[in-house]
Amino acid sequence: MTKAKEALLPSTIKNKEKRSAVHAKLKHQKKIEKKKKANAREAAEKRALELGEEPAPKNIPRTIENTREFDETICRPDDDELFAGNDADEFSSILKQEHIPKVLITTSRFNSTRGPAFISDLQSVIPNAHYYKRGTYDLKKIVEYAKKKDFTSVIVVHTNRREPDALLIIALPDGPTAHFKLSKLVLRKDLKNHGNPTSHQPELVLTNFTTRLGHRIGRLMQSLFPQDPNFRGRRVVTFHNQRDFIFFRHHRYIFETKESKQADSKGKVSEKKAQEKVIVRLQECGPRFTLKLTSLQNGTFDTRGGEYEWVHKPEMDTSRRRFFL
Amino acid sequence: MPRTTTLETPGCPPLRAITLDVLGLAKVVESRDVQNGGAAKMVERWGEPDSSKCVVAASILDRESDPLLSIARKCGSIEVVSAINGDLRVHIPSPCEAAASPEDEAIIGMHLFKRHQSESSSRSCKLLTCTTKGHASIGSLEFTETPEEFIRDPLLTEWKVCGSGNILCSKVDENENFALYGGKGVEVNIWDLNNCAKIWTAKSPPKNSLGIFTPTWFTSATFLSKDDHRKFVAGTNSHQVRLYDISAQRRPVMSIDFRETPIKAVAEDLDGHTIYIGNGSGDLASIDMRTGKLLGCFIGKCSGSIRSIARHPNFPVVASCGLDSYLRIWDIQSRQLLSAVFLKQPLTNVVFDSHFRTEEIAVSAPEQQMVDIAEQEAIPAKRKKVSKEHSRSKKVKSKRSRKKFRRRRRLNNFDYLPKQTILHNVSQKNIEGYLLPTQEFGNFFNGFLPKQEERRLALKYRFEKENSRKSELFSALCLYGRLCIMDIILQLY
Repeated sequence: MTKAKEALLPSTIKNKEKRSAVHAKLKHQKKIEKKKKANAREAAEKRALELGEEPAPKNIPRTIENTREFDETICRPDDDELFAGNDADEFSSILKQEHIPKVLITTSRFNSTRGPAFISDLQSVIPNAHYYKRGTYDLKKIVEYAKKKDFTSVIVVHTNRREPDALLIIALPDGPTAHFKLSKLVLRKDLKNHGNPTSHQPELVLTNFTTRLGHRIGRLMQSLFPQDPNFRGRRVVTFHNQRDFIFFRHHRYIFETKESKQADSKGKVSEKKAQEKVIVRLQECGPRFTLKLTSLQNGTFDTRGGEYEWVHKPEMDTSRRRFFL
Repeated sequence: MPRTTTLETPGCPPLRAITLDVLGLAKVVESRDVQNGGAAKMVERWGEPDSSKCVVAASILDRESDPLLSIARKCGSIEVVSAINGDLRVHIPSPCEAAASPEDEAIIGMHLFKRHQSESSSRSCKLLTCTTKGHASIGSLEFTETPEEFIRDPLLTEWKVCGSGNILCSKVDENENFALYGGKGVEVNIWDLNNCAKIWTAKSPPKNSLGIFTPTWFTSATFLSKDDHRKFVAGTNSHQVRLYDISAQRRPVMSIDFRETPIKAVAEDLDGHTIYIGNGSGDLASIDMRTGKLLGCFIGKCSGSIRSIARHPNFPVVASCGLDSYLRIWDIQSRQLLSAVFLKQPLTNVVFDSHFRTEEIAVSAPEQQMVDIAEQEAIPAKRKKVSKEHSRSKKVKSKRSRKKFRRRRRLNNFDYLPKQTILHNVSQKNIEGYLLPTQEFGNFFNGFLPKQEERRLALKYRFEKENSRKSELFSALCLYGRLCIMDIILQLY
């Protein structure tokens, strides 16, 4: 009788009070079972350690990232065509340090409130970045101008309702143009305990740009920064890709030696071992934002006549485990 | 297990395609194993990656023996290679090494002539090239033992296609008498290749209702049908597809807007009215040029600009390639993706080698040749020859195992028909082309054609089933109301 009741799905019960009661009971049971399992596992591990055996391998939780759909475009280190393609692409002259990156930052036609603040933050992040007022110029004209003045990239901060919401990065002189959606912007002044960056050239961390498209975006990001970081400055800029969202962070770090006192179990007999341990401390400098690629266009900015290398289409979203970067 | 969606690709018929990319590589893609799905795979790679060797134009001489592939590179050199194993036959170095800017003289269009069969055709070829600045030339080349040495015909004809502007597209019609050029700032014009004279130039369309004039910028063009050089289709940068008719007027007869990015590739179908267009944001679609209606889009996660489209001469299959570095093979009728091959580099051109045969269908090859001969006889003739042809192909069929035959008979009852019959039925309302699948194709699709599709086909040919005797079919078609048979084209594999 009770078994039959347990087998009954709570969702089939019509009375809400009863239904929620049954549901709560089921949930409670599940929780207890889970706890039991965890305890058993822990005990087994402990016993194995005592017996000197190898403990059972830890289970790896299944996440969306590690159950990602198979993608044949993921870069492999043994692919000679990848490196040949890298040597031939638009960023190779900057990344080989033949040119020093010089960035022009401008905005959309209207720019207020958080826009200018964001731009001043960006200028402190990207060395050799110059802000130009947009005025009423066409973007194509600005690109022409920047080409003439030997800029290597143009960044356009697009503002909507006084809030930056898109970022356009144009590599010069001949593309590509990447269009990003910008979200979760936190300016430096809004960060708690933020640091102030020095004028040293930052180190760059690019993580998880695995596919061919991701690789290209990574190189585009890389080409914004000088390729010879001042390690003295201990300043690091991170582009972290996770599920096609690119997280931007800017930190300062410091290595500190810390004396950790290890009190041995034998107590007084052993001397106080003063072990020197190196720890790293981080301080965020801001700004903090998230980018999502909407399109990558071949050549410089041209919305009407441009050819896209990659553009997001709804038909491509067949699974939440499919990623493009 | 987490739910993952697998890309459903039913596989494609046995075919062989050659793609060319921005690093100057040529990659051969073949699909062989038809029984196990027939996924296309890259089998060979010719050349070493070098960005200065970026392929800008290519043309294939598609024939049974010794097919040739000509490749024009960014650095200005032209290579003629064997399409079977990639052996270099002729290497013409850049003609303008002394010139200041080689980019101005980049070759944009190239064509290998099929009809050049005069003397020792296996040792020579005839080549038409056109540069961006409009220098066109025809010359024949004779091969020698080494690729560096070749004998160039002294009768090299050269002419200038345009005074200003950039040529972006060029195309030679099926009979190879006329060539078509167009580009940025160049209205499409047609040249008679026999005496190198311009015979026709288009006129730009008038200003629109707002008085805005769109500047001329043709990005792709093709002749609409095989045996008619008077109609052609051009795609523009302002996302328009225009149909021109030389015999009618100088302005476009029809112009169709397609989405929002420039049309980058146009290819014609064999039936003479359908065209395939690809645009800058990776949308591929087919359009019926008689009505100007969009037949449908090819949907298959194509994300990069389409650079080249090729129609297979025998199978109902198109291939597209572009900046997303995938070669995609599509079925024409269902517009379904048959196979997608990742080829690592942004691709610029794709060509089909139609004479590729695998071992599996080698059995039917002699039959095909036999029927080929019959086809040649049958083309000008009408009904009588058709029936004659039937009996012949039927004879061959009876040789096959009885059991297999019966099975096929059950699956598609129209196998008594010629392999592929296109009946152009012209009515006042609309023109419908019926395409009856071939045996091989029927067989081929029996395995993995969706149930729905099968039913659709069955419905389509219901009336043919009812008339089980072949001679009655055509009379039945005639009696089928308002239809009248204009011409019967037999196309046999």
